[in-house]
Amino acid sequence: MTTIEPTLTFDFRKAIDENRLKGIWKMMVDYRVPYLAATASLAVSALAKTLTYYLLLRYFADDVLTQGKYIGNSLTQTFIWIGLGFVGLALVEGSFSYLSGRLAAYTAEGITRRLRDFLFDHIQRLSFSYHATTPTGDLIERVTSDVDALRRFFSEQGIGMGRIILLFVINFIAILNLNVRLGLVSVIVIPFMLLVSLWFFKKVTKRYEEYQAQEAILSTTLQENLTGVRVVKAFARQEYEKSKFEKDNWGKFLKGKLLLFMHSMFWPLSDIVLGLQMLFGFVYAATMAINGVISVGDYIAYVGLVVWLIWPIRNLGRIIVSASTGMVSYGRLMEIVRQAREPLFDGKVQPEGPVQGELVFEDVSFMYSDGKEDVLKNVSFTVKPGQAIALLGSTGSGKSSLVNLLPRFHEYTSGRILLDGVDLKDYSRSYLRKQIGIVEQEPFLFSRSIRENITYGVGREVSQEEVERAAKAAAIHDVILTFPDGYNTLVGEKGVTLSGGQKQRVTIARTLLKNPRILILDDSTSSVDTETEAEIRDALNELMENRTTFIIAHRIQSVMIADLILVLDKGEVIQMGTHEELVSQMDGMYLRIYDIQTRIDEELEMEISRVN
Amino acid sequence: MAQELIELEEEEFTSQLTAPVFRRILTLLKPHWKWVVGFLVTIMLTSVLDAYFTYLNKEIVDVGITLKDRSALIRIVWTYGIFQLLQAGFVFIFIYLAGVLGERVQYDLRKLLFNHLQDLSLSYYAQNAVGRLIARVTSDTGRVSELLTWGVVDTTWAIMNITTSVIFMAIINWKLALIVFTIIPVMVMIAIQFRKRILVEYRVTRRTNSKITGAFNENFQGVRVVKGLLREDENTKEFQQLTSTMYRSAYRAAWLSALFLPTVQIIAAVALGLIVGYGGTQITLGHMTIGGIMAFVSYLTFMMWPIQDLARVYAEMQHSIASAERIFKLADTPPEVHDRSDAIEAETLMGEIEFDHVDFYYEDRKPVLTDFSLKVKPGEMIALVGPTGGGKSTLVNLLCRFYEPREGVIRINGRDYMDYALASIHSRIGIVLQTPHLFSGSVRDNIRYGRLNASDEEIIEAAKIAGAHDFIVTLEKGYDQGVGEGGNLLSVGQKQLISLARAVLARPELFIMDEATSSVDTLTEALIQRGMEALMKGRTSFVIAHRLSTIRRANRIIVIENGKIAEQGTHAELLRQRGHYYRLYTQQFRHELETQYGLADAVGAKEEAPEEEAMAAD
Repeated sequence: MTTIEPTLTFDFRKAIDENRLKGIWKMMVDYRVPYLAATASLAVSALAKTLTYYLLLRYFADDVLTQGKYIGNSLTQTFIWIGLGFVGLALVEGSFSYLSGRLAAYTAEGITRRLRDFLFDHIQRLSFSYHATTPTGDLIERVTSDVDALRRFFSEQGIGMGRIILLFVINFIAILNLNVRLGLVSVIVIPFMLLVSLWFFKKVTKRYEEYQAQEAILSTTLQENLTGVRVVKAFARQEYEKSKFEKDNWGKFLKGKLLLFMHSMFWPLSDIVLGLQMLFGFVYAATMAINGVISVGDYIAYVGLVVWLIWPIRNLGRIIVSASTGMVSYGRLMEIVRQAREPLFDGKVQPEGPVQGELVFEDVSFMYSDGKEDVLKNVSFTVKPGQAIALLGSTGSGKSSLVNLLPRFHEYTSGRILLDGVDLKDYSRSYLRKQIGIVEQEPFLFSRSIRENITYGVGREVSQEEVERAAKAAAIHDVILTFPDGYNTLVGEKGVTLSGGQKQRVTIARTLLKNPRILILDDSTSSVDTETEAEIRDALNELMENRTTFIIAHRIQSVMIADLILVLDKGEVIQMGTHEELVSQMDGMYLRIYDIQTRIDEELEMEISRVN
Repeated sequence: MAQELIELEEEEFTSQLTAPVFRRILTLLKPHWKWVVGFLVTIMLTSVLDAYFTYLNKEIVDVGITLKDRSALIRIVWTYGIFQLLQAGFVFIFIYLAGVLGERVQYDLRKLLFNHLQDLSLSYYAQNAVGRLIARVTSDTGRVSELLTWGVVDTTWAIMNITTSVIFMAIINWKLALIVFTIIPVMVMIAIQFRKRILVEYRVTRRTNSKITGAFNENFQGVRVVKGLLREDENTKEFQQLTSTMYRSAYRAAWLSALFLPTVQIIAAVALGLIVGYGGTQITLGHMTIGGIMAFVSYLTFMMWPIQDLARVYAEMQHSIASAERIFKLADTPPEVHDRSDAIEAETLMGEIEFDHVDFYYEDRKPVLTDFSLKVKPGEMIALVGPTGGGKSTLVNLLCRFYEPREGVIRINGRDYMDYALASIHSRIGIVLQTPHLFSGSVRDNIRYGRLNASDEEIIEAAKIAGAHDFIVTLEKGYDQGVGEGGNLLSVGQKQLISLARAVLARPELFIMDEATSSVDTLTEALIQRGMEALMKGRTSFVIAHRLSTIRRANRIIVIENGKIAEQGTHAELLRQRGHYYRLYTQQFRHELETQYGLADAVGAKEEAPEEEAMAAD
């Protein structure tokens, strides 16, 4: 099997920083130049817009129209040049605005792509205990919503802030160049407006969250009603349900109304403030023009420029408020990135061929990293290649923990496990996992075709014959052929639903194809009917042939065939031996279990005979 | 996840506007026509004033500055200021009216759909996934109300804006206005083309996005398999294909958006160049003023936004109309099971219940019950046993009249039960489902669901009879303890006890229970048994039974297989037959004893998950 390392273009572990802005800057490697270029293009574009008014329109009004200065003394030529000037500047403005948008999108989408790739790759390489303790929903939330919030940070907020600030700066400078006093009186309310809009959008974001929360309440009511339709109907509670929904629905209407009231106050009020500021500027400038302090062209340029100075300011508040969510998301994502990975390839020995499958446990103990007590205590036993070992014991007795040590899902804390005479920790995880096949108690299939599920993780091209041979051996081939698309039938959501027994046999076929030397069977035949159980058992027997097999047993029948039976209790091996040996140990747990089994049979006999 | 996918699938559909649909969409606004008029008028006035302000700017230059007329300047500025205040008032009104109306239309639609859903029969629910119905009530209504309010606002504003601008331009100089007039359609067409292409990419993006979420989800859930099979590298490579698709379409959508405005702007700039060139000549001839040129520049520059809005509304409209059609389709679906026009009140269900040659099949037409006949005496307790898919749940569904027989008759008290009013049947039935369904809210609320006007004492009394009281009082807040969404803060056994109490409170005449297959702890089990016993006393009852104790207690055991009664009789009779029942019984006997003797516990056997029974399929 050749492992092709996926090409991840950036290691986000390099972007960890306590200062969130610094961290965001660090994750922009390779994209800093494009993003800065996007900002620069924005500046060029804004400048072109400004120059349209500042140079062209002013020149047109003052030099051409008022003073009658023509280019080459030709009226037509002058107008053609000015017309071309307009088109030319618009072209510059348009092209650079496009360029800036494109570069910003390139940055945002590029960073997002490699962030997603990294997170996907990273998370599957985190330790087992991390996955056991982290709820899937929380991880999903982070890799979707938080990634998207970061994307918007680059594509909208960063560039949006840049746009507003650049427009302000460039136009402000232009106006100051026209007349300093005019420039200063034009921005009197700007700082005030910025603060007000910050305050407003913070408020409105909070109200909006409440509005969304009410929507969630309504959805819950709706969903509970729809899924509980039989209860609703059986109790004839339609009217009650209607009034319950009405309450939530009306509640949302009221919350929406409040939100709209806030918006309908903010926008016109800020319209008034900014409009009056603008009008004040007009009067001031017009008076200056009448008094001859500035020219008509200056005035016209001013009217064109001041718009870009004043109106965008309101939105700056909105953008700043939403940019802060991007920063929070950075922090939440870095919490995942920070987690240590499980090294797959580190190992002192790298054997060429497969293992023999001889295992020696010597005083092995194990405790979870966050645990207080040993889950396994001084476990010792020896398994010869090809033998079957059954583990028996109650939930929490340590059966699963014991087998989890073999593929190094967890590391034992003391003692040794020797595989073919070599300490397990000297093998790389990848090597061990190649040698070990696991059939889980609850089989997990992926939502892809049955064929892909069988060949999942084989890591080489597999011919159809080979797949079918595995499926036949697992007694699932005939079932697969009854599906509409045979081996190409999709599993799950949009495809067929397989029964527990069928899923189990697909995973057995998968394991057969993998052909491991060591096998771990989490016996789960308890949840299927007798007929299926027999089929699975046959498939399992086929699988166990010539392999060292660990069976986590849930019933005595599956234990009897084992070469060695370990009875576990609270992490300790309390009994060990073959079925015959254990049955002869009086007062042993094994005999007790065995007795119960026999007693049940007797009682059943009695129960039946009673009615006869 | 599934829900998300369904929603996405539906988003693919777009519909062209047809007259009947359009008329019907408009009727949604009818009750609120005053609001509509209100926001239409104010948005128009706002838009007219916008154009007028540009005109006033021209006047400042032409009258105030050029003629150096200070008094005129002051007059113009006063007008400007007053109209600005006025416009702010209009803006307030239209944002408020349109916004609130949007919320209101959504409220109306949701109410309409929800109320209609309450009347629809179980068959409708069986054919439509819950996710789809939720999408109907939540997102489809949102899209329609959006179209009816902000869509209308944007369109009105845009059209008014363009129209008034053109009019003012014509007033200033009609020849120049003509240039503008000819390029507007071009700009609109280009804008729409852009929008459509962007929308296509958005759709790819959304679809890929849900696949990405799916891939994440699967990889997290199956991490054990992934690690065990060393599938990490392969998975990442597969995932990278998804993110590549995502990158391509998202990037394309983004740069198309970035290209859109500049394109329209450049076309406008060409017009501007023409106007300035040609207008300059006009000025020298005295047909045009400097202020006039300035006004043209403004009008053209600010024409971008209305054009952009028009294109957006047009592109989104097709989706909104598809949403509207789906909403109307749901609202028009008649309930399959409904009262007959001459339905009478069922006085009591305590009478003989008879299935007379009943045939039944679901929508897939696969026969579920065939020629099924059964007579049950009042007060009898019937245990229904048999394999999954045999027809037990269907029998119960028919009995509750969630469905009606395709052939044959079900009689209660000798009368076809379809003669009775549905509510009068349902109000006399108590039902406990296999996977008990609770609603978010307190324990008390959930029990009270059985009889809404019950007093707190009666609720406690019912809980005591059902055997639920003892565990309820151990809860931190007792009867006021919240049960969580769908009751998921409680165990299955606790949920079952509460739903038993709920059924007790309803004082039913006919009691139906679908026993849970999963075992609960021994104590709870005993409580449930006692509660059932109390409930069944003096009532006719049907139990889909899994527990031996329940089965043994029944007056009659009915083994249903392949839609027919395979065997029936008392426990002893059936056991002697050594048939289906014998096999089922011995298997269950073994299983229960294993649990009882703690054998299952000793070997750590995992409780089998209760097999979720599909609503329609048995």
